Parts: sequence; structure tokens; C-alpha cells
Amino acid sequence: MLLSIATSIHAQPWEFTSAIDVTKVAGKDVFHHVESSGRRNIAVSKSVIAVTWEDNRDNDTPRIFLASKAHTEKNFTREITISGKGEAFEPSIIALDNDKFAVTWEEDAGIYARLVTPSGPGPILTIARDDAFQASLVWQNQQLLIAYSKKDSKYQRIWLQRLGVDGKNLIRLSDCPVDPEQAKDQQLYPTLISQQGLVIVAWEDRRPGRTIIMAAKNLQKPCSFTLPQQISSAPAARSSPYGKGHGVARVALAQFGINKVMATWADKRDFREGYDIYAAAFQPGAKTLFGVNMKVQDSFGEVAQQWHASIAGHDSGYLVTAWDDNRDGNANIMLSWLENNTWSEDIEAEVATGEGEQTHPSITLDSNGDLHMVWIDRLSIGGPTQLKYAFAKRVVN
Amino acid sequence: MKRIVLIVIALFFLTPVMADQPAGYPFMTFDKAMKKAVTEGKPLFVYFGRYGCGYCEKTNKEAFSDKRVKEQFVNNYILAYVDAESGKRLRLPSGERITERDVGTRYNAFVTPVFTFMTAEGRPLHRLVGVQRVVDFLSADSSVQKLLLEQK
Repeated sequence: MLLSIATSIHAQPWEFTSAIDVTKVAGKDVFHHVESSGRRNIAVSKSVIAVTWEDNRDNDTPRIFLASKAHTEKNFTREITISGKGEAFEPSIIALDNDKFAVTWEEDAGIYARLVTPSGPGPILTIARDDAFQASLVWQNQQLLIAYSKKDSKYQRIWLQRLGVDGKNLIRLSDCPVDPEQAKDQQLYPTLISQQGLVIVAWEDRRPGRTIIMAAKNLQKPCSFTLPQQISSAPAARSSPYGKGHGVARVALAQFGINKVMATWADKRDFREGYDIYAAAFQPGAKTLFGVNMKVQDSFGEVAQQWHASIAGHDSGYLVTAWDDNRDGNANIMLSWLENNTWSEDIEAEVATGEGEQTHPSITLDSNGDLHMVWIDRLSIGGPTQLKYAFAKRVVN
Repeated sequence: MKRIVLIVIALFFLTPVMADQPAGYPFMTFDKAMKKAVTEGKPLFVYFGRYGCGYCEKTNKEAFSDKRVKEQFVNNYILAYVDAESGKRLRLPSGERITERDVGTRYNAFVTPVFTFMTAEGRPLHRLVGVQRVVDFLSADSSVQKLLLEQK
């Protein structure tokens, strides 16, 4: 076993430098949250690293903030408020060209977006009002695409909005439901990815009386999608007359290599041991959008609990997931990466381990394949929060 | 004002489809239950379930249907239901806004159902994991009541 651990540490493809603070430790009654549909709370452009989160420091109103630093700077030197006057939650961020970023978030049951450019933020655009939640975004062919959940008659339904960019302004181009049929139960927590000109949208869907992960692929026209297909497969049926099957939660997507996309989510098919991290690969050209479900975590994690999976990929083929995991007695952040089409042994991100709890990671890979990670650090469960960031150099090609 | 009313109505309609609690019990959201528990000086009984959970349904039918369980639990506790997969936001007495799913994470509701007896402040006293029978609930109630008496 020692040999096995030594081997896996030796082969670890990313080497972390020390963690730095994105925020100070929160004061009394202030709480930071790194939450978003698809877990995209960090983005990296050619020369800037940007992080977005929610906290309630401003007169106890939850607002969205963005902190940034140049790659060459030691610390996060700039911080701006992104959201408006309402109660805002769950921001997602993506890098555009020329060190621009786009952020989308939820505010007073609506979805909003704005650009953040080197010369300052652009105006806020309303994406959807009246029971719109859980937005995620992607940058494709000079368009910003936002997937979100909006109430349609009785249930939440997944929508995709396309936006053009003109300087600091966002311009609405189209807005349409992803599933052509009216929702039969809740559709929640969407995320999306762009791959070779296609858009793949994945979300939680409660149509079978339990939560499953579904996905659809955008066809040629902006509002034309394949029929949704289930990504999360069901294990062999038990003979229980009760319930509708196992639960899943919070899908995340990443593009990597050529033509490759991976979905990851928390999956409770092993009902005695709680949520495990599962993944499935997109199958271009196949009838079934996504392939066989794979368990990401290693067998040491089976008796522990895993939460908050984030995933990031690179054109060279690197793919890595991060989640929080209590196998060592307290919540630490673990990583697993794809090696020859199998998931590696799990390795603790050494900068995000130790006393208290380190949770809610969000990760991204930059153009060099280097890893950037942000997470919530707490000295005690339920105690004061702080946002931390760490950089990990790619050391294996 | 109209906007606030609309949001409240929206949240009301979002709630029922996410719940999977036994009928006839006054289960409420975790944050409201904590407030009520503090006001009334009662402990909490928190049911961590999820949409479509088989063992929750079995426990609902085979244990919560019992008159003694209902009488003792309604009398002795403030009842809270947490959908461990839900993104519904709660506001804890500490002021923290947190989703039901993250309440489940904090109290280690890694499977469903999990039933946790807590103090009004949210300190766990006793925990039952998985499907429960009438005798399990009655026995746990007895143990928790004894523990609370000892702590007084």
C-alpha cells in the first residue's frame, strides 16, 4: 500500500504552490459561498485569474463579488461588486477573449449577466425574470451562451440563451427551451459545454419520480436540440416495492482533448455509502449521447462521503476532477485525473487539507494546462468562512 | 411589495414537489423548525430524505403510520424535513443562508433517510440511519428523552 501511495504521489501531474487568500476570514454573521450550477466560480484568461462568489457582508444582503489578479501578481488586488441591489446567489464565470470575463448569477428569482473588462464592468443585462434560477455559461464562436432553469407552468424547465458581445455590452440573440416538450417534473441545475461548434447541455431532471442527469445536444439551428437522454444510468433493479430509484445531484461538464466531453456528478447508486463521484464521456456520432458510467473516486473513498464535484479539461487531453471528501475524518479536497481512460487514485490537494474543513472546490485549467483552484476554508464546521486560491503547475506532459 | 408577494408565491409552489415527508405530520423547513424549537424549548427531530427515496417511503408507510409514533413525535419534538438534494435556500439562526443540500452535507446525511434528534440549537443528540421500524422510533424517542432529562 505504501508503495502504491508513493507511486501515485510521484505520478501526480500537478504540483501546488502555497494557497493564498482571496478574501479575509469573514467577520461575525458573514458567510462566503462558492456555489454555482456546474461549479464554475473561477476562470483564467491570458493574463488574469478571476474568482466569483457570494457573501452577505453588505448589510446582510447576499451579493456577488469578483476578485482578480494578474498571473504575475502574488495576491488578489482588485475586487468589485457584480450584482445589483437584490439578494444574489450562485455566480458562474467564464473567460472571453482579451482578458474579458462574463458572469451570470441569480438575483431575486431572476437571472442576470454582465461583462467584466480590463476597463471595468459593463451594464447588467436581465436574462430572465420570474422564477429563473441556477445559471451556467460558456463562450463559443464569439457568443456567450447561458443555460438556466425557469418556471414554465408548473415546473422549472431548462432554457438556453445566446448573447452577442459588443464592447462592454451583452445583446440577446435567442432564448429557447432545451427540451422541446413541456417539463413533466422539475428540471434543475443546468450546465453546458461547447465542443467543436456543438453545445451540450446537461441538467438534473425529476421526471421519473427521482432525480436523474439528462443531456441534450444543440443541432444546427440555435433553438434546435436532440431529444434529452439520460446520462446517469440505473443500477440493476432491487426488488423493493418502494421508491423510484437512486438519487443523483449537481452535474458538471468539461471539454478536453479533441472532440471529448466528460460529465461528472454525485451519485448515490451505492445507497449504503452515500454519494460517490461518477462520470460519463460524451460519444460523438453515437446514438447514445454519453457512454458507460464510471466511478471517479478510488476504493479508499467508498466508506467516506463525497460532495461538490468540479471538473476541468484541456485541449491536450488533461482532465481533472476535484471534490470535498471526509475519508480522513474531516473535509479535505481530493483530486482525480484521467490516465489512459481510467481515473487515477485519489490524491489530496495538499494545500486544501488539514484542520477544520476545506470544501466547495471550483477548478479550471489554463492554456498551459496548469490548474487553478478556489475553495471555502473553515476552521470549524459552521465557523467563519474564507475563500482560498491555489495554483498548481503541470509537471507531467 | 408586489414583487415580494410574487417571490413568496413562487417559493410556495416550488416547495411541495421537492418534499417526500409523511402525510399528517407537521414537518417544516429546518430553519423555521429551529426558530420554533428555540421558542418552545423543544428538541428537533430532523428527517433527511430525498425525492423518490425508497427507504423513506417504506419508513413513512411502516413506521410513521403508527399512532404512537405520531403522538410521541408530534408532542416531544419540533419536526423538520430536509430534502438532501434540494437547492431550496434556508436561513439558519447564525444568519447563514444555506441550501437544504448543504444542510444535509453539514449533518452528514450521506444516505437517505437519516433521522437526527437535535437540540433546538442544532447540536445532534442521536441519529438513526436507513429504514426504521415503529420499535426503532419508539426506542430512540425513549433514549433521547432520557438523555435530555439527564442533561437538565
